[in-house]
Amino acid sequence: MTGEVLRILLLVLQLGFLALLYLILIGFSRALLRDLRSAEVTQMASQSGIGRLSVVESPADEPALGSAIALGPINSIGREVNSTIFIDDDFVSGLHAMLTFRGRSWFIEDQGSTNGTYVNGHRIDRPVALSFGDELTIGRVRMRLER
Amino acid sequence: MIATNVRRLSVYLLLAFASVSGALVWWQVLDAQALATRQDNPQVIATRRSLPRGSVFDSQGRMLASSVVTDGISRRTYTDPVFTHLLGYASLRFGATGVERAWDDVLTGRTDPNPLRDLLNDILARQPEPHDLTLTIDQRLQDFAAAQLGADRGAVVAIDPRTGAVLAMVSNPTYDATGFSGDPATAQAAFDAVAGAADNPFLDRSRQGHYTPGSIMKVLTASAALDAGAITPQTTFTDQPREEVEGFVVNGFTIREHDLAPVAPALWDLSPALQVSSNIYFAHVGLELGAARYLDYARRFGFCQALRIGSDVRGLPIDPSYVSARADGGCAPFRDEVELASAAFGQAAVSVTPMQMALMAATIANHGAVPQPYVVRDLRSHAATPAAGPTDSVLESYGGGRGNPAISSGVADQVRRAMIDAVLGPIGKLYAGAGDVTRFGVSGVQTAGKTGTAERGPGLKPHSWFIGFAPAQDAALASIAVAVIVEGGGSGSGHAAPIGGAVMAEWLKLVGTGG
Amino acid sequence: MHAVPRPLELRLLLPLVILVPLGFAVTHIAQTSTLDPGPMAVAIGYVGLMLGAHLALRLVGNRGDELLLPCVATMGGIGIVMLNRLPQELLGTDAFGVRFGMATTQLLWFGVGVSAMVLLAGRFRDDGVLRHYKYTWALAGTLLLVITFLFGREVNGARLWIFLGPIGFQPGEAIKVVLVIFIAGYLAEKRTLLAGASARIGPFSVPPLPYLLPMIAIFVIVMLVVVVSRDLGTALLFMGIFLTMLFVATGRRSYVLLGILLFIAGSFVAYNLFGHVRIRVDNWIDPFVDPSDRGYQTVQALYAFGRGGLFGEGLGQGLPTISGHLPIPALPTDFIFAAVAEELGLIGAFALLALVMCLVFRGLRTAMLARDDFSAMLAVGLTVSLGLQTLIIAAGNVKLVPLTGITFPFVSYGGSSLLACFVIVGLLLAISHRSVVDAQIEGRGQ
Repeated sequence: MTGEVLRILLLVLQLGFLALLYLILIGFSRALLRDLRSAEVTQMASQSGIGRLSVVESPADEPALGSAIALGPINSIGREVNSTIFIDDDFVSGLHAMLTFRGRSWFIEDQGSTNGTYVNGHRIDRPVALSFGDELTIGRVRMRLER
Repeated sequence: MIATNVRRLSVYLLLAFASVSGALVWWQVLDAQALATRQDNPQVIATRRSLPRGSVFDSQGRMLASSVVTDGISRRTYTDPVFTHLLGYASLRFGATGVERAWDDVLTGRTDPNPLRDLLNDILARQPEPHDLTLTIDQRLQDFAAAQLGADRGAVVAIDPRTGAVLAMVSNPTYDATGFSGDPATAQAAFDAVAGAADNPFLDRSRQGHYTPGSIMKVLTASAALDAGAITPQTTFTDQPREEVEGFVVNGFTIREHDLAPVAPALWDLSPALQVSSNIYFAHVGLELGAARYLDYARRFGFCQALRIGSDVRGLPIDPSYVSARADGGCAPFRDEVELASAAFGQAAVSVTPMQMALMAATIANHGAVPQPYVVRDLRSHAATPAAGPTDSVLESYGGGRGNPAISSGVADQVRRAMIDAVLGPIGKLYAGAGDVTRFGVSGVQTAGKTGTAERGPGLKPHSWFIGFAPAQDAALASIAVAVIVEGGGSGSGHAAPIGGAVMAEWLKLVGTGG
Repeated sequence: MHAVPRPLELRLLLPLVILVPLGFAVTHIAQTSTLDPGPMAVAIGYVGLMLGAHLALRLVGNRGDELLLPCVATMGGIGIVMLNRLPQELLGTDAFGVRFGMATTQLLWFGVGVSAMVLLAGRFRDDGVLRHYKYTWALAGTLLLVITFLFGREVNGARLWIFLGPIGFQPGEAIKVVLVIFIAGYLAEKRTLLAGASARIGPFSVPPLPYLLPMIAIFVIVMLVVVVSRDLGTALLFMGIFLTMLFVATGRRSYVLLGILLFIAGSFVAYNLFGHVRIRVDNWIDPFVDPSDRGYQTVQALYAFGRGGLFGEGLGQGLPTISGHLPIPALPTDFIFAAVAEELGLIGAFALLALVMCLVFRGLRTAMLARDDFSAMLAVGLTVSLGLQTLIIAAGNVKLVPLTGITFPFVSYGGSSLLACFVIVGLLLAISHRSVVDAQIEGRGQ
């Protein structure tokens, strides 16, 4: 009879193990659901833009180091005050480069600048497609393309 | 854009996980039962190897099979080789057959007949408790039938027509399965010895043997034609006497009468035609009935389909019997009228098992309903000392049910009378008279029967057949129906009929004639 | 870097404090039929290790996904409970003159893996090392492949092991991670070009030749893996990772389709060339043809699933040994999923799959939130390597695909595999940390 009691106890413990396992799963699913809701919100917020440039290096602090510049489909980059992205740096030409979003990806094209435009450290001589995470160097300013 | 693709990817992955889950459901729930009963399942093997296994008793409580666990290995002993085909064996090496296989889970106790207990046992992981079985067969009759067959190859099947209880099921030659159900170390040699023996002892002739039935099929032809209204007991065919001499031409093929010996050709109706066993008469009857109705009635009698001794859930399979060529597990349509006419007297492509023939005889005795055969009478809790007999605690008992009507009760009576004439009538007693139970020391009882001599082609001695039942004077009294085949035994009257008569007489002596 | 709170992670880890010791106790009670919970050192060690990992992540200031560690820890918990209940004298490791049981050995590897994970999650802040030296990584991977080919030891017909003294090591696990890094770097750079311009071969649009070549190279390397290691599972996994990443980078199903066709063609060649592969495929088609020899393990696994049923045989009460031997020799590695399904039943197996799915979806979420393409591709690749590995072995166990000798991440017994899996989680934590931090900077900026 003690054997029977032991069996019942064992059964209860085994069920307890499974129950605990599912309790953990419920915890996970609650966290997942809550996160899904907040993720939707952040996504709605971030999808309004097609990308941004975050400033990695900027000796003159214009644009400000660490800041992120929201991008439109066509952006002019240069020392010209009316440029979409204004860079206050002696090594930058008036209209230095054009950053454009065409179809599904970003392209950068140098506009005949004196000191050139660099992508990931390589100077470009024709329009180049960019990936998110690529680094642009214009003058002494380094910026990273991000979504 | 990466985000969009990642979202699509997650849908694909979800589908993949869903299909793995689906496969899990299949193996763990839907197919679990089928897996659990497979013979190569290690759990089946393990329980068979080391756990006690229930005993099997005859209807009078005599021990037929029992197991002892020594040194952690369960060894099984069978007391009577005459039961080997029926009981089968439960071997660690060669799996299980027969009753041992069909009832494996309750014998070992892996399944409890009480669903609630079964569930509790499973949930609490209790040690399985074996159960014992009691058969419907009386060992005395079984042994008697086997002794009658002697050294001849063949089978004897006896059924209680009222209930479907199997009274005897003998297949010869047989073998002793104790050798390969016991010690696995010596099992192979024992098995090989049987496998290498002549005449295929492994074959259970009673339910797996396929034979040409010959004239005993005329019982089916007569029953079907009478029930369908194609003939009456008084029907005759004008050209009979001439055809009995010259042959009956069907589609350019000449069907000839067998050797009528002392009997002169005449215009016989049903009873004398069955007594002399006229092929010409029954060829006419078959053609009169027509192919479609012949097949229909054959199916009603259980032909053209796999039958079982026991229930569909737990039973011994009986090979299908055929009236025509085999097709997709059933009977093909008759090719032409020649085949139909020949089938009507039991030749052509007709191929039957002795069990089916016993059922056919039992159907006539049972007012035209085919009994549902069964051989395990009840399930009991395990007896600690099986030699002392089974326990009294019956957990479950089984029966055959009412049976399936094949022909009307009135037609069954007409055929019954014709079959009595076939044994006792003036011409009949020259043939099937050898099966009359009064010749074996039982008085006041009429016997119904039919012999068959199944031609097997040139150079081969025909199979000798007999089917019958007794007491036959009143259908309500019939307590035993038999089918006997002696392979290559020659004429039915010479070999099978006396065995059938003796077996029926022995049974009536054991149980009484029932007034 | 300063300490951060990770409250959700802690909350999800706490139930393990009961779960794992409970599992140890239940199995011990079931196996001995006495009311004795048995030795608890490994269970306590495991729970301590996971809580320690949590504290360490807080201390190194990782702000990454808080669900990853609890997911992994729960899976590992189920695994170590199973490994602890198996007959210990049959398996285990001899090292330094001490005999370790399987669970103890596994716990040691958990320690190594968790350390690697914390190190990566805390210190790995600049992905340039991975990104800019992708060809170096590819070279390293190829080198490992060559070493395996030259010095590998054959186990069960597949050449997967390199032995350094007593410690066996499966280079395939390292190659897997390196492969992901290389493909991520390559695709992040060439993505737009691959997705844009294309040439056509028959019904398939393929990328122009200069971009096609490295991809063909990857394909050839994967096929080489089959030849070298004769390991169908690893090849399938590598190919799956590559094609999935290609799909995510370009969004083109036709590339994937082409890849699958090529893989099938390659597999067909392998089937005809290698008996080892042929046996596995034949067993898959019908293991019951030869249930006592070649189909043995597959058949036994199916029986294990069948025994388990809906609620399982009960923890500690399944897996009947046949005269002291496990019914399935490769149970702790290839068939741990079948063991879990037998003892915990369908609901237990579902729980395990749910944990993996949770891990995969968190990984993919990390990819979606990543700020740059390389990080996104890396996260996708790492996550998919875990997800596909689980799918391939689980599907192999249930006979959906031919059985292959790869491990169930975090659950199976095996050091190399465990270490690689923790490295993957560490990298995911690092990527996740960076996007969280970036998002916060940005939030402050606006």
